[in-house]
Amino acid sequence: MSFGRSSAVYIHQQALSSTSNQATEVSSVTIHPVALFSILDHYLRRKDEQARVIGTLLGTVLDSGEVEVRSSFAVPHSESEQQVAIDGDHHRTMYELHHRVNPKEVVVGWYSTGSNLNANSALIQNLYSQETTPLQAVHLAINTGLEESGKGAGVKAYISSPVGISPKPENCVFVPVPVELRFRETEKSGLDLLASASSAATGPGITQPISDLEALEQSIKSVTTMLDRVLGYVRSVLAGEVRGDPAVGRYLLDTFAASTDDLEQGGFNASLQDTLMVSYLANLVRSQAEISSRLALAATS
Amino acid sequence: MAAAIAASLPTVQTAPTPAAPRQETLPASWNKSIDAEAEIPITTVQIDGLVTTKIIKHSLDSGSNAHGLLLGLDLDGVLETSNCFPLPNQSPDEDEKSVKSVGRYQSQMLRSLSEVGSVDSVVGFYQSAKLGAFFKQSLVEAQAIHQEKLRHGGIVIVHDTTTTSRGNASFRAFRLTKPFIEAHRRHNFSSASLINQRLTFSNILEEIPVKIRTNPLLNSVLGTLTESHRSPLSCALPSEATTSAIPPTYSTLDIGSVGLTRNLEQLIEAVDNHKVEESNLAYLSRQIARERLKADQYITKRREENAARIAQGLAPLPEENISRLFKIPPEPSRLESMLLLGQIDGFSKSLASASSSGLVTMYAVKASSEA
Repeated sequence: MSFGRSSAVYIHQQALSSTSNQATEVSSVTIHPVALFSILDHYLRRKDEQARVIGTLLGTVLDSGEVEVRSSFAVPHSESEQQVAIDGDHHRTMYELHHRVNPKEVVVGWYSTGSNLNANSALIQNLYSQETTPLQAVHLAINTGLEESGKGAGVKAYISSPVGISPKPENCVFVPVPVELRFRETEKSGLDLLASASSAATGPGITQPISDLEALEQSIKSVTTMLDRVLGYVRSVLAGEVRGDPAVGRYLLDTFAASTDDLEQGGFNASLQDTLMVSYLANLVRSQAEISSRLALAATS
Repeated sequence: MAAAIAASLPTVQTAPTPAAPRQETLPASWNKSIDAEAEIPITTVQIDGLVTTKIIKHSLDSGSNAHGLLLGLDLDGVLETSNCFPLPNQSPDEDEKSVKSVGRYQSQMLRSLSEVGSVDSVVGFYQSAKLGAFFKQSLVEAQAIHQEKLRHGGIVIVHDTTTTSRGNASFRAFRLTKPFIEAHRRHNFSSASLINQRLTFSNILEEIPVKIRTNPLLNSVLGTLTESHRSPLSCALPSEATTSAIPPTYSTLDIGSVGLTRNLEQLIEAVDNHKVEESNLAYLSRQIARERLKADQYITKRREENAARIAQGLAPLPEENISRLFKIPPEPSRLESMLLLGQIDGFSKSLASASSSGLVTMYAVKASSEA
């Protein structure tokens, strides 16, 4: 690969050649909340003198070239202007331990906090790429939102491309790839719980799990407030106080035009009876279980 | 940067002035919360956001039987769990090799975690359950083992995957009660022992209130993630008008009683299991009664004989040890039947709560369709 070209062209060529001789190419990255939260926790627990923390990303690679980052663990390292050292033993031990619980997850790359990429990053990237071949290692740069003022928290994903006439490990170009937060629908409630903790009025970041009915009550209340807001808006438009926004009007039409006529009365009553029946049954079984356990105590005494 | 340092300090809600990390003397307000002998009882369990997400992920990845260890510290009656790690699923035949390898796994994991500055003291374990049925022999046994080893006896956090997928993440913390520990220590779950300890399924475990905590850094990131952005298009589709990494959900408002059938099936299965267990117990106790009757008859017969011999002036026959002649089986353990009752109770509780929220949604829909 000793062609004299400008680096931009070279990257392009590299991307093309990688499709021809590699099974897949990283097209996008998704990150699971667990991985993200582990990284934040690691960042909080870093030593004072550490400017940034790094660690390994585990996950799966889909056929489409999408890399799913599903968990992460911390790796101790030290770096200075001259050199960078990574605890390889720790990385291998942790990987083996993770592998025992979740054999499907493999090393897909590494993370670091802070958004600056330097020569050390390139060296670490080179190291991880050896583990993830034939795929390029994914590098996630997590900006925790604390280091640079004016920049909010954010996550960026990169893959690397060697650069220069003769590729050297400390030289590479980080090519950004799209990244998004991905979680299963069933995990959503866990995040909702955390979100309610982070915005709780009771105290700083503390909340209590609630029962099903309370959750339902909250949802219904929030829907009612939204309806009130819409009603207020519509009334003020009708009264001519506010000029109606046609876009909002169309959204409202779409939302409320959903017909509820197909909800026939008979079906409702039958379903209501079923649900009531189940509810009685559940309570009956509970009291029977309680009686049975009390009888076991009373017997033979 | 100051915010980052403040956030990395240990949680000091009780102390108004947090001490610098390297300072040797603790603030005066900490004095009453220092408890080297674990004398202050645990009143609350505080679960970190990281722990909740890790447990949810592990539970979903590995199906119903996910369990792992909780790491943390206790401070002034609050047990703070700040990290956790999953344990590999044990094979049903618990041979010595697999037990040993799990032990090795644990110690390696703890060592590795302490290398990166994470908490490395085990405070309990977590277990996933379905439909509220977490009473299992394995759970109680594991907790009984921890009871002796851990400070404060350790706790167990039960995570219900079913309610979580219905839209309300459920975490409950439990520890074993004193009567149960007493009975377990003596390996005695006969009915007499149960009566003495007044032990039913409802007082095997006692629940400890749970709090969910997110650290300030996580708060800020969650704030960024839940922020919604307006679509750049002025007339985008309603579903695409605003985007956000974590959109708000109203999955609790879904109509239809999801999973009630499954719940009912499980309930019936548990009742059947309990019936089988009860008839086993009844069979065993009938057998005991029969053997005891035989032994009693033998003794009275021998006594009558001896009385007759003494009257005739002969030497009485020796009264042999009846336990050698008649094998009276030991009284069966009622633990299994008690746990099954607990399971039935769990299933019916979740059934009741699911059906009641179903009722509420149905009436809400009816009201809105009439309006």
